Amino acid sequence: MQYIFGRNYWNTLSVFFLLAFLIISPACSSRNRTEGFIHYRLNYNPTTLDPALIVDVTGGLIAAKLFNGLVRLDEKLNVIPDIAERWEIKGRGTEYLFFLKHNVKFLNNREVTAYDIKYSFKRILDPGGRSPNSWVLDKILGAREYMSGRVADVEGLEVKDRYTLKIKLVKPFSPFLNLLTMTAAYIVPEEEVKRWGADFASHPVGSGPFRLKEWRHNNRLTLEKNGDYFDGPAAIKGIVYRIIPEDLTAVSEFELGNLDVISIPSYEYSRYVRSPKWRSLVSSVEGLNTYYLGFNCARAPFNNIGLRKAVSSSIDRKKILDTFYEGRGRLAEGPVPDLLRRWYTHNPNRYDPSAAKKIIEKEVVDNRTVNFYITADQEVVDIAEVIQSYLKKAGLDVRIKQLEWSAYKAAINNGEADLFWISWWADYPDPENFLFPLFHSSNHGASGNRARYTNKEVDRLIEAGQRSVDLSERDSAYGVAENIISEESPWVFFWHKTDYTVRQPYVRNYRIYPIYSMDKGLEVSF
Amino acid sequence: MSSYIIKRVILLIPMLLGITMITFALTKALPGDPVYTMVGERSSLEIIEKVRREIGADKGIVRQYIEYVSLLAKGEMGRSYYTNRKVLDDIKSRFPKTLVLAAGAMFIAVPPGIGLGLLAALRKGAIADRIISTASMIFISVPVFWSGLLIMLFFSLSLKLLPPSGTGGPRYILLPSLTLALPALATIIRVTRVSVLDVVNMPFIRTARAKGIKKKSINTLHIMKNALIPVVTVIGLDFGSYLNGAVLTETIFGWDGIGRFMMEGIIKRDYPVIMGCIIVGTVIFVLINLLVDVIYHYVDPRVRLHGTDR
Repeated sequence: MQYIFGRNYWNTLSVFFLLAFLIISPACSSRNRTEGFIHYRLNYNPTTLDPALIVDVTGGLIAAKLFNGLVRLDEKLNVIPDIAERWEIKGRGTEYLFFLKHNVKFLNNREVTAYDIKYSFKRILDPGGRSPNSWVLDKILGAREYMSGRVADVEGLEVKDRYTLKIKLVKPFSPFLNLLTMTAAYIVPEEEVKRWGADFASHPVGSGPFRLKEWRHNNRLTLEKNGDYFDGPAAIKGIVYRIIPEDLTAVSEFELGNLDVISIPSYEYSRYVRSPKWRSLVSSVEGLNTYYLGFNCARAPFNNIGLRKAVSSSIDRKKILDTFYEGRGRLAEGPVPDLLRRWYTHNPNRYDPSAAKKIIEKEVVDNRTVNFYITADQEVVDIAEVIQSYLKKAGLDVRIKQLEWSAYKAAINNGEADLFWISWWADYPDPENFLFPLFHSSNHGASGNRARYTNKEVDRLIEAGQRSVDLSERDSAYGVAENIISEESPWVFFWHKTDYTVRQPYVRNYRIYPIYSMDKGLEVSF
Repeated sequence: MSSYIIKRVILLIPMLLGITMITFALTKALPGDPVYTMVGERSSLEIIEKVRREIGADKGIVRQYIEYVSLLAKGEMGRSYYTNRKVLDDIKSRFPKTLVLAAGAMFIAVPPGIGLGLLAALRKGAIADRIISTASMIFISVPVFWSGLLIMLFFSLSLKLLPPSGTGGPRYILLPSLTLALPALATIIRVTRVSVLDVVNMPFIRTARAKGIKKKSINTLHIMKNALIPVVTVIGLDFGSYLNGAVLTETIFGWDGIGRFMMEGIIKRDYPVIMGCIIVGTVIFVLINLLVDVIYHYVDPRVRLHGTDR
């Protein structure tokens, strides 16, 4: 004590810091990676890896490496065999006969059979289970009766033999094969689910190209190559997902070589695409998404089509896209992304502020104040303020109400908002996924139609498209439906956002995919 | 003193009951519904009702509270709505990491903080005092999300000395600990300085000097010992709050601590996680305060821990 508080304060402090440095210095290095493994970044810790429970993209992205479905998507968004070797569609699209590959094995070395498919599908529909994904499989005959607990089995799931499964649908549903590419339709081994119980979410066992080696929650998740994968092993030893919530931290890790690929944060976009070092290493893909400003079509003032169109015409979407997003996307003509559209759709609401203002002045007599619900995300707040200023010029007083995500979702699902900003990302690559949940009148609120749009003709056309087994007939129904929707403008259709990633020069055969489930991690190498 | 400690620990039980009741009511009163986040972007009313039943959200709030308290009585904290993992296990795995970070920050902040505070006080008005006081004012004013990013850019990107993020050994601890330590260091300096200045002017110091006691002895035995009480209080408060997690620092440096865990719980309205974190946080805070009281007793024998005369 005497020495510490004696005259030599500076010496004491210097000794303290020197000691601290000596303790730490042997460990000094900015490197943090496992050789042979590719290092990616995740913004958030995946909530679960149980396919029955996954609703987030992060969980789906990892599950795609651990599990397989009957079918999967190729790089051109076609449905191709996965566990199934082939299939036959009969009964005007109501019967699917799947023939499974032999010798596809779970990681516990047991062969995948038709019984596993039936078990996995029934698990999603289980009346006592808590899967929020039952909508993926509820088109199967008898699924709803099983879900309600009235019957003990699903009538439409029939195991013909060890390698053959017959699935019967209640009625034809054209995107059914697409649905089977989703996480909820991944196949799980019953014995492992029973062994782990609720903890299967953290101990997933599938048949995929990777196995879960370690999951240090909120820190890192490591996948190791499955050397016996039926479709040929991956080219890398494994994948390390680093969980890094902060963008700047992720960029620092990338620049130090601790991450091999990162999704480019908006504020770093121009630096990477202009940098001679990085620009050839930037990849992009047109996202299967639509960003929109939704109207509450079920109540005044936006139950008025003319007013909705005027609001659409009062916002210069192209200018916002070019300046705010630096052109990282395509202007939307309607709800369906261009990549999925095989017909012509034209957005009739071109930017015309003076005409829009006149209509708004004529149509809105009593109250010119509308509420606009947004999330607390900074990018959304910035866009909302730009929209607010356009609408103010057009004569509408917009009050922005900023809510945290779950409160926001509850509010827009319950129809509290006049206007709301949100995006829709494809579950599967079919135009139906951008029409039925979002505009069919049976889906108001939490099911997807948050604009509460109702049009009997659109309902009929979407249903006709779902039923049709003929592609051109389906496209014609969807095309007419989309054009009616564009004309009636339940949303201001903003853009389809493009995703950008940047990789290290030594990463080879890297691809960026429009849907998370497409990336099995097999091709990428060093 | 042991009876005092036992009494304080027993008092924790009604305090925790009160805290659970208030927190439970507050979390339920928040706008938002976890079920909407749990079911994803597309779900029917039947699914929403099914999930609501599964997590027991369809029952009345009083019944939900009673069920939660009986779960606590069994030593459990339930499972997270989203991850389905046991909340207690998650807290147990994160607490040591938060403890290490908080201890690292205290290690960096306390000895130099007290030393520099004492130096500034003893050299009041001199150049050293001015430099130390200005620097401490700056460190108190700078928000951690800014200082954290600067520290990361400097030590990781420019000097390439330490990794920018991750949870692990000493090389991962240093940067987040340093970020957390800076405001604590500044507070300790300022409190020490003021406290020492108070004591220096007291009559017993004058008496000691008149008695011809050596300057070193006066500084350590007389001044520091008497000036330490407010410093110990500040250290206790800082340490207690760091043990409850440092959300911003943990987020910037990707540190898997209690702060990030609780923040995620709050954002997603994961009630079992929020409740679990608050209960553990309360217990920690009360225990740290108890520890501080005990330290008071040793630092200043005038403080008696009988429970009635305090």
